[in-house]
Amino acid sequence: MNVPGLNLPVIKLLIAKDWLLFQKQLAAYVTAGIFALCLLGMAKPWSFYLGSLMLIVVLVAAACFSISTSLLAERKEHTLAFVMSLPVTPLDFYLAKLLGNLVTFLVPFLVMLGGTIAVIAFTPLPNGLIVFATLVFGYVLLAYAVSLSVAMAVESEGWNTFAMIGSMVLINPFIMLLGQIHAISGYTNTEHVVWSAPAVSILLAQVVLSVAVLVATGWAHCRKPAFY
Amino acid sequence: MTAAFAVTGLTKRYENFALQDISLSMPEGQVMGLVGVNGAGKTTLLRLLSGLSRADAGTIEVLGHAMPAQQVAVKQELGFASEDMRLYKTQTLRWHMDFIRSIYPGWDEAYAAELLRRFDLCAEQALAGFSHGQRVKALLLLNFARRPRLLLLDEPTTGLDPVARDEVLQALADILRDDARSVLFSSHNTQDIEQLADTISFVHGGRLLESRDKESFLDDWRRVVCQGSWPANESRWPEIAATRQNGSLLELKVRRFSDALLSRLKGQGLEIRSTEAMSLEDIFVTTVRAGGAA
Repeated sequence: MNVPGLNLPVIKLLIAKDWLLFQKQLAAYVTAGIFALCLLGMAKPWSFYLGSLMLIVVLVAAACFSISTSLLAERKEHTLAFVMSLPVTPLDFYLAKLLGNLVTFLVPFLVMLGGTIAVIAFTPLPNGLIVFATLVFGYVLLAYAVSLSVAMAVESEGWNTFAMIGSMVLINPFIMLLGQIHAISGYTNTEHVVWSAPAVSILLAQVVLSVAVLVATGWAHCRKPAFY
Repeated sequence: MTAAFAVTGLTKRYENFALQDISLSMPEGQVMGLVGVNGAGKTTLLRLLSGLSRADAGTIEVLGHAMPAQQVAVKQELGFASEDMRLYKTQTLRWHMDFIRSIYPGWDEAYAAELLRRFDLCAEQALAGFSHGQRVKALLLLNFARRPRLLLLDEPTTGLDPVARDEVLQALADILRDDARSVLFSSHNTQDIEQLADTISFVHGGRLLESRDKESFLDDWRRVVCQGSWPANESRWPEIAATRQNGSLLELKVRRFSDALLSRLKGQGLEIRSTEAMSLEDIFVTTVRAGGAA
């Protein structure tokens, strides 16, 4: 496919480069995620709490790793100038970084999301947890999009660390908030998967906000005055 | 003839520095040396030409293409290496070579192998184990072997030991045997520039002081030593960039030397003891101290 204005062959090469650079570490995250899912699947109170905690930790770590290694480290170690000296425009670079990051993050993310739903569906865990778990994953996706955008738009390491830690730490209040919404928490101990209006609204808001943040960042990135 | 690059009214402002109103061009097939002290604006100019930075004002054309609008077309035929550019330290040089080869169709594997031997680099070694000199040579190899029409090199020999510096300069000289290739390089080391450049440009305080072909530059400048005292009114002697009285000897650094000037000096009662050519470094330092007029 030839998209006018985009250097697709080089974009693909840059995505493949990022994948190659980080695949071993990502495999480790997936392995840890699978271990957490095994704990969840044991459906014992202690293993459920340990497994869900570990799953969130692995998700957050995978998100932070993906951003810090492919974007922050590239800037810090001065490899950004090397990449930007290749035949790419700022938009090509942005798309390569965005897609590369989405691939490197979404692969473990989707493996863990699919695994979580499968574990809930095929073990004695109540199926009503599927909605709750999906919204928690949706939150991690939004927090990841925000952190990725800050990393692309802001060069300050301090702000990037703040954005990553801040957005991910807010997962606790978010889980508590879900617990306060009866239309969501009321079904977590039942076998019914109920996509109530608040649940659908939250999920939609997470997806729309994630996309909006990334599009706005792309717009801002293409107007940056320097790339080194 | 196509210009390798041409900039007009180029301006780039930072908080504490501004590159101001630079107009400069270089025909294809030439080598231009950019001379300037730290913070003069050499790196800023090279970053603007390579598309790593955007100008606040002015126009940039590289290899016949407008920058940054046509930067992909430009970067296909451009090599850029700067002192602060780094490669992926966890990967080997071979990985980098394969990566660059997959992007640039003009990659010359035989030449890359020759450069590996000449630079004494191990392709299978990860960059993390490379010394500074090896890293610089690896970056230059990745640029040279893609056979770019225009090479932009920012301080390519800084921090290299004498042997590595000689290897790099020799490789650059080889590239310059091909008349179609152009090189713009900056250096603190005026000897390197004097050795390789056809044209010399002085940059200082964000401004272009002078840009001329090397021969006329070196021909015009002279160090004249006279017996006697400096007579007068400096405004009447615009050819003279600097004077220094040392006892009864007077040293003059002349920016536009001519026989007529010698006659005028003799007419002032000065006895000419010697007239010597000046090194590029001496010319540059004198130009900067004289306030910019070369």
